[in-house]
Amino acid sequence: MTLQIELAGIQKYYGGYHALRGIDIAIPKGQFVALVGPSGCGKSTLLRTIAGLETITSGAIRIKGEDITRQPPRLRDIAMVFQSYALYPHMTVEKNLTYSLRLKGVARAEARRKAEEIAAITGLGQLLDRYPRELSGGQRQRVAMGRAIIRNPKAFLFDEPLSNLDAALRVHMRAEVRKLHNSLGATSVYVTHDQIEAMTMADHVVVMRAGVIEQQGAPLELYDRPVNRFVAGFIGSPAMNFVDGVVTETGDGVQLALPGDPTLAFTGRRPAGEAVTVGLRPEHLNVVADTGTGNTMRLPVSLVEQTGSMTYVVTETEPMLTVAANMSRAMLTAKSLDVQIEPANVYLFDRTSGEALKSL
Amino acid sequence: MLSSTPWKRWLLLAIAVLLVAIYLFPLYWMYVTALKTNTETFANPPTLWPHHAELKVARVWNDMGMGSFIQNSLVIACGTVAIVVLFGTGCAYGLARVRSVWMDVALFLVLMLQVLPPSLLITPIFVAFSQLGLLSWPRTGTILATAANKLPLYIVLVRAAFTQVPRELEEAALVDGNSRIGAFLSISVPLARNGILVSAILIFLQALGEYVYSRSLITDRAYQPATVGLQFFVGPNASDWTGIMTFAAIYVTPILIIFVLLQRRIVSGLTSGALK
Repeated sequence: MTLQIELAGIQKYYGGYHALRGIDIAIPKGQFVALVGPSGCGKSTLLRTIAGLETITSGAIRIKGEDITRQPPRLRDIAMVFQSYALYPHMTVEKNLTYSLRLKGVARAEARRKAEEIAAITGLGQLLDRYPRELSGGQRQRVAMGRAIIRNPKAFLFDEPLSNLDAALRVHMRAEVRKLHNSLGATSVYVTHDQIEAMTMADHVVVMRAGVIEQQGAPLELYDRPVNRFVAGFIGSPAMNFVDGVVTETGDGVQLALPGDPTLAFTGRRPAGEAVTVGLRPEHLNVVADTGTGNTMRLPVSLVEQTGSMTYVVTETEPMLTVAANMSRAMLTAKSLDVQIEPANVYLFDRTSGEALKSL
Repeated sequence: MLSSTPWKRWLLLAIAVLLVAIYLFPLYWMYVTALKTNTETFANPPTLWPHHAELKVARVWNDMGMGSFIQNSLVIACGTVAIVVLFGTGCAYGLARVRSVWMDVALFLVLMLQVLPPSLLITPIFVAFSQLGLLSWPRTGTILATAANKLPLYIVLVRAAFTQVPRELEEAALVDGNSRIGAFLSISVPLARNGILVSAILIFLQALGEYVYSRSLITDRAYQPATVGLQFFVGPNASDWTGIMTFAAIYVTPILIIFVLLQRRIVSGLTSGALK
């Protein structure tokens, strides 16, 4: 398998600030990679190092096997879509689209033909002679995409391109970007702080925090097998609940620090008396009729949030738990809720390091 | 919008008109005196409007050889603007883009230079130029000295224009395959165009009015600009005030016209960035 982009041991310092700490990512041709993390985690910096807009302190960046670590952006043959779109305000849509072609010395007629072709793909049909200020947010977004596509580059970089769009358009563009990626057979690196965007669009998700890759893998692998509490809490919406607990005498159950000291069974075995943090995803907590069915607990209700399709119940416990329930409307007024969870869905994390705990 | 009652608005307007009148009175006096006869100039009490208006433009122009003065003024002003724009634009860009303590120090020093008056600098400049032999090319020397004096203002104004250009636009150009200089010339400069133009015009107008350097560095009348030429009216016994004012009017009127025509652009160029 040939690698399109390879990042090896990337370190980046801003003066004394260690922004990227040994980043290794291998991206095969045609893959859609999402970099996610909270703001300030270094994901945008990493993207900019790939583009060549930031230099790195040590490490190597290879594109199609060629080391481009020290090359300026213009020699890297990479296209980038910026968060602000960065359309040239003094140029028409056509000039914006063909800027890179004109730099390469492509003939005017050929450039115009290409611009029309790209406009057709991106749905910019009649807008070629407009200026960016005359376009709506969605149209600007398309111009930014078109400007990247027209070059047929070795890779596409996206820096939170959808964050300036309204919610409905964002969902629509999400699908469109992914479709475009597939139809072009492109290799893309996509930065976002929105884990839903990352999960829905990417083949490979890289979760970063404070300049370190916490975990990378397929979206569902991160969801099913988070390596630590941070990834578990970051991936999934609403976020995973965390409760302190102590492993029981038998080693296959955990007693939670909740009213009534409920005990939940988990798959596998841990040393008795171990202090752990228990992770429970809201969508894994099933509302049941009574607590008799096993692996259940009764939780006092504090707040009910309805979205129509789903109902989120927030419990009156310390810490608060969220339960994603698909329940009947009659139950909305209940003072307490009985929930059940499969042992396989009970996650255990080390209480101090946050590492996921494996069965002994 | 400013006030709710009409009489208050009228009062404010009256105050504004009064202040403008005070401010513009010298200009008015220049034109009026230019039209008066020599005797009327010294009439007491002075007349606010000439009784026997006479236009002396052609006489003053020919007698004083104003063609040469104005040509020298234009040469010096254009040369100054050329040097200022050439060196100041890149400098302003650098100061706008690179953020570090040293850039702040540099900017502070540039502003400091702005504070130093030409009359203070002229002596060391004269000595230096004379040792370099630059006094043999007096207009070139004046252009260099004036450009150095006007550069800080230009840099500060144009720097403000460049800070308005989002950095991402240049980065997009870099990724699109342009070099640093290419991105600067094809993206940043066109977008800061208004600020650059307006600042250049201001420098041009200021250079036209420059006196100290030309007076000190240029001894040959053939190379002197109009500002210096004005002194030839002042004789040991009498001063030809209407001649002086005619001369001044000939020199100032085109500048005023330029300013009025470009007034809207100048104001918007100087305040761009103050408001989004």
